[in-house]
Amino acid sequence: MKHIKLFLAVVGLTLCFTAGAQSQDAMRLNEYLVVNTDDFQDDFGQQNAWIELFNSSYGTVDIAGCFLSDDPDNLKKYAIPGGDLQTKVKPRQHVLFWADNQPYRGTFHVSFDLANAKEIIFTKGDGKTIIDRIPVRHDLGENIAFGRVEDGIGSVDGSEEGWAVMDRTSPSTNNSLIDKAAKPDRMKAIDPYGWILALTAMSVVFLALILLYFIFKAIGNANIRAGKKRSAASVGTEVEQSAYGEVPGEVYAAIATAMHLYQEDDEGHDEESFVVTLHHTDRTYSPWSSKIYTLRQTPAVNKRR
Amino acid sequence: MGHILENLKAFWQFTGFANFEWGYLIMIVIGCAFIFMAIKYEWEPMLLVPIGFGILIGNIPLFAGLNVGVYEEGSVLNILYQGVQRGFYPPLIFLGIGAMTDFSSLIANPKLLLIGAAAQFGIFGAYAISLALGFDAAQAGAIGIIGGADGPTAIFLSSRLAPTLMGAIAVSAYSYMALVPVIQPPIMRLLTTKKERLIRMKPPRPVSPTEKKLFPIIGFLLTAFIVPSGIPLLGMLFFGNLLKESGVTKRLANTASGPLVDIVTILIGVTVGASTQASQFLRWESVKIFIIGALSFVIATFAGVLFVKFFNLFLKEGNKINPLIGNSGVSAVPDAARVSNNVGLEYDPKNYLLMHAMGPNVAGVIGSAVAAGMLLGFLG
Repeated sequence: MKHIKLFLAVVGLTLCFTAGAQSQDAMRLNEYLVVNTDDFQDDFGQQNAWIELFNSSYGTVDIAGCFLSDDPDNLKKYAIPGGDLQTKVKPRQHVLFWADNQPYRGTFHVSFDLANAKEIIFTKGDGKTIIDRIPVRHDLGENIAFGRVEDGIGSVDGSEEGWAVMDRTSPSTNNSLIDKAAKPDRMKAIDPYGWILALTAMSVVFLALILLYFIFKAIGNANIRAGKKRSAASVGTEVEQSAYGEVPGEVYAAIATAMHLYQEDDEGHDEESFVVTLHHTDRTYSPWSSKIYTLRQTPAVNKRR
Repeated sequence: MGHILENLKAFWQFTGFANFEWGYLIMIVIGCAFIFMAIKYEWEPMLLVPIGFGILIGNIPLFAGLNVGVYEEGSVLNILYQGVQRGFYPPLIFLGIGAMTDFSSLIANPKLLLIGAAAQFGIFGAYAISLALGFDAAQAGAIGIIGGADGPTAIFLSSRLAPTLMGAIAVSAYSYMALVPVIQPPIMRLLTTKKERLIRMKPPRPVSPTEKKLFPIIGFLLTAFIVPSGIPLLGMLFFGNLLKESGVTKRLANTASGPLVDIVTILIGVTVGASTQASQFLRWESVKIFIIGALSFVIATFAGVLFVKFFNLFLKEGNKINPLIGNSGVSAVPDAARVSNNVGLEYDPKNYLLMHAMGPNVAGVIGSAVAAGMLLGFLG
């Protein structure tokens, strides 16, 4: 029982730790638009400033309880409400907040706008830990967004590293087009003959197997030492013998042969009865395979007296 | 009468004869050759019979729209083929491989792990050759994995990196796995001296049950932390092995190593075979893939044997490794190990190398899964 409790506690702590570690910290401010006159409309048909968040992790993140703010002195300006399934952001997906200062319109309408905002701050559920912040630019012009060049990549300290003026707005979608062939193409451009990948990947394969080698070498040695101790303890004296693991196979073969011969000499083997018994063999019967059922009944001749 | 003739004419249009093209006949001959090799010479019969018959199934000339072909969405064959396309058959095969593999020889002599790593040069040699022959990087990665000599891994990786080449890659991988007894011995003889071939290795020490239980857990955690993209293969391989070694899940281990792996082998073999329709398969690219595949096996064998010779420079007399087990680093289990043993016996009839060769052989399975994870990480 004690062990079960301990196990559950460890699992619980691990889950809490990993859940916390992989959750809200992975969220990024990804793009924003300050002056929206001819861009995306909200569900009320209105055009307002918006802020896009991106889940950079490969797990779903619940942002309920986190805060958005435009004021470093008041990080809890807008608390993202709980109880809304849409606050669970799927892996590598986006979520859009309308900065229209009309929070009564729903979960995704925050209680400030960007007209006079100096920066946008996304804060963890504790209300203290800033996950991401970005200064607000007011010189971009109408319908021009500012965002990360690649989703989720770049600074989180407000230094705008990895951020740029967007060629086009991309609310709730990727900031740069994802070209599936781009990665292999880039790889081929960097490494046209394949040597870099070969060396890197082989190093990793060797590294993985070398680590396994060291671990199992150590475990093996520990096992041999433990075996020696056990055998010494069982005899009661120090046993002089080669390492437990170094007993050649021939020794085992010799022991087995000796035991076999001993049994034979000692007539340990059962005597054969020399009686041959013939058993009747039953064939498995099934009406499905029986020919009888496929034949017509033999016609009987009724003789009239 | 006219109506009957019309119906007969329509029926004729549906037959394979009316839709016949020479490509189909070539593929049917290839399929029959696979079946012949499997039955006559017993080269990988468990694989070549299903693949060979799959080739026959996939190359019956079809009237488009019958909804029976492997590439026709919603057809029975297409549904079965999803396991290959979406890559869920290979991890299941790995589960079975894990449940039937005894890692004792590797645990007893862990330095043999390094031979399994060295043989993966075949993968990256083939990758470089593929790039040189004009394949793009993703295709080159998928072709390169043939050098791992591991059919499920080849299918898994090609389904992600180059689905259009998967048929040729899978058939190439399985064919060369079957031809390991033909490809490897000449290279092994070429690279070794008679003295080296006569090296007798120390018998492996007995491995405790605790070590056997720890191996899949530590092996998985370590390799998966290093290459998370290999988790589907590595996870199932080590999980299967834990089922076997835990001693308390015998039924699960039996199912994984018996009925489950048999079912998936049948499905994977037949559907991969069926995917080699002449129109998809008989292309210049396929020929190049077959040539690269052969070279990858040659490179892997070279790398494995030469690595052992190099390794021996650092080992004391009495601890040296027989370089004839270097070929086993390719993960064609257990054929490559059997080749080591047979070639060893030719020179010393009492020098049984099988148990020693199984070490690098199973290390090759781990190594090729790690290499596949790397390729997926870089190119996927």
